[in-house]
Amino acid sequence: MNSILKRASRNFLWQHPWQLALAILGIALGVAVVIAIDLAMESSLSSFNQAARAFSGNATHRIIASDGGLDEKLYSRLRVGLGLANLSPVVTGYVKLEQPGEDSFKLIGIDPFIEKSLHSGWQTGHKKNSQQDLLTQLMNEPNSALLSEKTAQRLKLPVNAPLNIVTDHGTQQLKVIGLISANNAVSEQVLAKLIITDIATAQEVLGLFGRLSSIEVLVDKNATETLSTIQNVLPGSALLISMDNQGDSMREMTRAFSINLKALGLLSLLVGMFLIYNTMTFLVIQRRHLIGSLRIVGVTRQQIFLVIIGEAFLLAIIGTFIGIALGIVLGQGLLHLISGTINAIYFHIDTASLMITPLQIGKGVLLGISATLLAVLPPAFEATRLSPVKVLARSRLESDSRRLMQSIGLISVVLISASLAMALFSGKSITVGLASIFVILFGFGLLTPVLTLLLMRLIERLFGRFLGILGRLPVRMVSAEISRTGIAIAALMIAVSATIGMDLMIGSFRQTVAQWLHSSLPADLYVSLPGDKMAAGKALTDQFLKEKIASLGGVQMLSSVFHTKLIADDQLTKVSAFELNLKSRQGFIFTHKVAANFWYRFENQPTLLVTEPYAYHHAVKLGQKILLKTDQGEHSFEVAGIYADYSGDQGHLAMSRQNYQRYWPNLGYSGIGVYAREGADIKQLESGISQLLTMPQSVKSDQDIYKASMEVFDQTFTITETLRWLSAAIACVGVFSALMALQFERTRQLGILRAIGITTRQLTVLIISETGLMGLIAGLLAIPVGLIVAYVLIFVVYQRSFGWTMAFFFDSGSLFQGLVFAFLAALLAGVFPAIKMAQTRPAEALRTE
Amino acid sequence: MTTEAAISLEQLNKSYRESDQQHVVFRELTLRVSRGEFIVLLGRSGSGKSTFLNLISGIDPPDSGKIIINGTDITSLSEHDRTLFRRYHIGFVFQSYNLIPTLTVAENLLLPLELIRRASRKDRDSVAELLDRLKLSDRLDSYPDRLSGGEQQRVAIARALIHDPDLILADEPTGNLDLDTAEQVLELLDILVRKAGKTMIMATHSQEVIGKANRVFSIRNQSLHLE
Repeated sequence: MNSILKRASRNFLWQHPWQLALAILGIALGVAVVIAIDLAMESSLSSFNQAARAFSGNATHRIIASDGGLDEKLYSRLRVGLGLANLSPVVTGYVKLEQPGEDSFKLIGIDPFIEKSLHSGWQTGHKKNSQQDLLTQLMNEPNSALLSEKTAQRLKLPVNAPLNIVTDHGTQQLKVIGLISANNAVSEQVLAKLIITDIATAQEVLGLFGRLSSIEVLVDKNATETLSTIQNVLPGSALLISMDNQGDSMREMTRAFSINLKALGLLSLLVGMFLIYNTMTFLVIQRRHLIGSLRIVGVTRQQIFLVIIGEAFLLAIIGTFIGIALGIVLGQGLLHLISGTINAIYFHIDTASLMITPLQIGKGVLLGISATLLAVLPPAFEATRLSPVKVLARSRLESDSRRLMQSIGLISVVLISASLAMALFSGKSITVGLASIFVILFGFGLLTPVLTLLLMRLIERLFGRFLGILGRLPVRMVSAEISRTGIAIAALMIAVSATIGMDLMIGSFRQTVAQWLHSSLPADLYVSLPGDKMAAGKALTDQFLKEKIASLGGVQMLSSVFHTKLIADDQLTKVSAFELNLKSRQGFIFTHKVAANFWYRFENQPTLLVTEPYAYHHAVKLGQKILLKTDQGEHSFEVAGIYADYSGDQGHLAMSRQNYQRYWPNLGYSGIGVYAREGADIKQLESGISQLLTMPQSVKSDQDIYKASMEVFDQTFTITETLRWLSAAIACVGVFSALMALQFERTRQLGILRAIGITTRQLTVLIISETGLMGLIAGLLAIPVGLIVAYVLIFVVYQRSFGWTMAFFFDSGSLFQGLVFAFLAALLAGVFPAIKMAQTRPAEALRTE
Repeated sequence: MTTEAAISLEQLNKSYRESDQQHVVFRELTLRVSRGEFIVLLGRSGSGKSTFLNLISGIDPPDSGKIIINGTDITSLSEHDRTLFRRYHIGFVFQSYNLIPTLTVAENLLLPLELIRRASRKDRDSVAELLDRLKLSDRLDSYPDRLSGGEQQRVAIARALIHDPDLILADEPTGNLDLDTAEQVLELLDILVRKAGKTMIMATHSQEVIGKANRVFSIRNQSLHLE
């Protein structure tokens, strides 16, 4: 019985290949976006963890330092003084190859004869030469280096070939003495952008004489005594961190970013679910005669339910697997965007490649199948309600739907109110903030059919007289089949309102950042002084340069900044040390009023300023004390001010250079602000300064910096833009699918119209008018919903995710764009069904039941 | 009834393709119908009665042959012109009523008028008048699904006649109705169509209609046979 039942149902699906394909496409697209985001995000973070693991081998801990690095004497003290054997000193830095078109390589200097238990995977994988020979050679031969076999092949560098690299100190030549091959895919990826030398070579090449970047430590995790012994001998600028914690803290740092991206993926799935629901409902409604006949011959409600669910399960499996395959392809594309954003605002990750794990595939399968089954439950229940004796008429189904809609309307009002309350009173939780947006969208989605009916009534009342019977038909068709048209309008409305909401949020954020940049760039020219802060002599050369700039003719005054990392409350924290003048002080936008002696306290007392994100993430308030580690022990600094800063979402501290130099060594400058005299020729001054600079130092005008910063801003939002358009594209497929199904269902009705004398052109206009009207309604409803979404994104989600305060900038262009998009998407989605219907011969259409 | 030919079918051929087989419906069919004549078609289900009506209305084109209605060869017209011809000259009554479910009774009647010209107040009055004659004046603003089968068919007849076409085609108009209602519907057609001097071709099984017809044909072996 069951197999015959299934065959009866399956035959119907085969007879409607379009709907079958669109249902599968709906599932596939929803799953693809979620999987792609998950894969790309996890791969980016994994690449960081894997890279760290590949270098540190079996190390359990790492000693790191603020920008000054570690004194290499610390290594001797730990090894010889404390007798710790499992240590591995490391010097790292980034260099470029002289060959054009090559990305930067990581140069890592290691001690080739470290304790074996600390060996990294790559150290046992090479095969060209014996390990011992290579390591001895690396140690004995100055400027010798190892490269990955594949990289050497790509660069056409044989063993003993010279390797020219460019550092902050000019071009230097290394010699490739051996090739290493990875023993697994991860190592291969890590090794691809790596140059390995011994410690001394790395120090020389990178100009880090006597300094180390980190020391890898292998201790028993329970050896708390050993760990505290190490802690005790560490200088104030050094920190002992657990390797596990480091991975966790990176993940924590990108948590908000990751949640926001995943929410965008789920939005696509939500739109996809509407599409699945819509398609499956159509398939049930169209089979009401079949289901009625089956019920007459004794098929139970339960059997009907199982057939529909079984069918959906099959579609879910096919759709999910296609979705996973699509997701992997899409993930490749997103990986570049996501790792680019992480690089721009969080931390450096090397070029990542997509890592696909069974867990992620499993998540995708579970998500695809459960979302499909969830979306198919209402139509499956609807199928069981179909009467066995009297197959329900379409009109009866519609009047039932209208009654149901009133209850749904009330539920949606409750949902919307609850979600707004959720948004307002959800504390610091980003997930709850985002969930409230989903509930708002879902609530308005449920309300859409009711609002559509009201709008249709209004349109008819206002324009009915002028439209005539034919003109009134599209309006009537939308409201007469509201159970179907309503779903398509709701899906489009959700996607467009999310698009409007995000557009307004990004626009507001952009405006806020633009205003902030304008006020925080008071100087006429900015000199950038990059370079490794450990490099010997940088402080002196920077100071010398600063004096030379100050002595230039057109210069009125200077300001400076030094960006570094210090240990604040046992965490490595970004700190900016400022040398400010009267003008540059005006560049700070405080979240509170400042007292008259504010700047005096900033310069002369142990105070510091914190950025808004820092204050938010660390729950720091004015007057609170922050402990900073120095070589002379811990010192407490009072928070004197909280200011707006959009340069990163983790936030940082700021102190006067005077304060900084009281406790930490002078490591030069990161940037110098140049204020020109009244009437001075800025271009001339810029060219004068640039003559004093060497590579990679540069001088840029405030306008150039503004432009470059806004470019970075736009780049970081590329991923968001891409994902919101993906959701919109899925909504378009949804609308197309719904409209196709709707028109197919109406074939006979359209045949009657043709029989009484409506031309194909009139029929086409009729169908396109209906779909355009649906798009217009979706667009109109999306405007207020989009505004609400934007408010929640700006004042709840983004503030909680990143700690940024943004102003709301109303942009009517975004609203108009959303409206036009919805209208055009629906209009275009109607073109194909209209052509198809116009091509159907009336005689054939009249035969359709 | 006048003897002038209203419809002339000349060597009409029509076949359908079903899977790999060609199914011939009509072979070399020839017929002349005079103006005001009432023709009844009989035949088993699937014999081609509906196809015959579809061919005359221009809904379905023949494979070959000519269909001349009131001097116009509709087989030489484009699909668009055939539609316009149908709009002006033909009224169709279907077995399953085929009213537009999204329009009210009055709007269903106004639609054919609006396709010809902008419906005027006078048109609205004539709709009301016709519905009054059909005892449906209280159903003016009702939607079709609120009407009984007999009421729906009466509206369908009114729709076929409202724009005053020369030719009425009725495809088993009583097929879905009980005996009493069917009788009422046939009487109505008789009064409104036949006695008004319009040409009508009806496919039916009703014996009562056969008695009122000028000629009765049955469709057998791909051609018409006078009964």
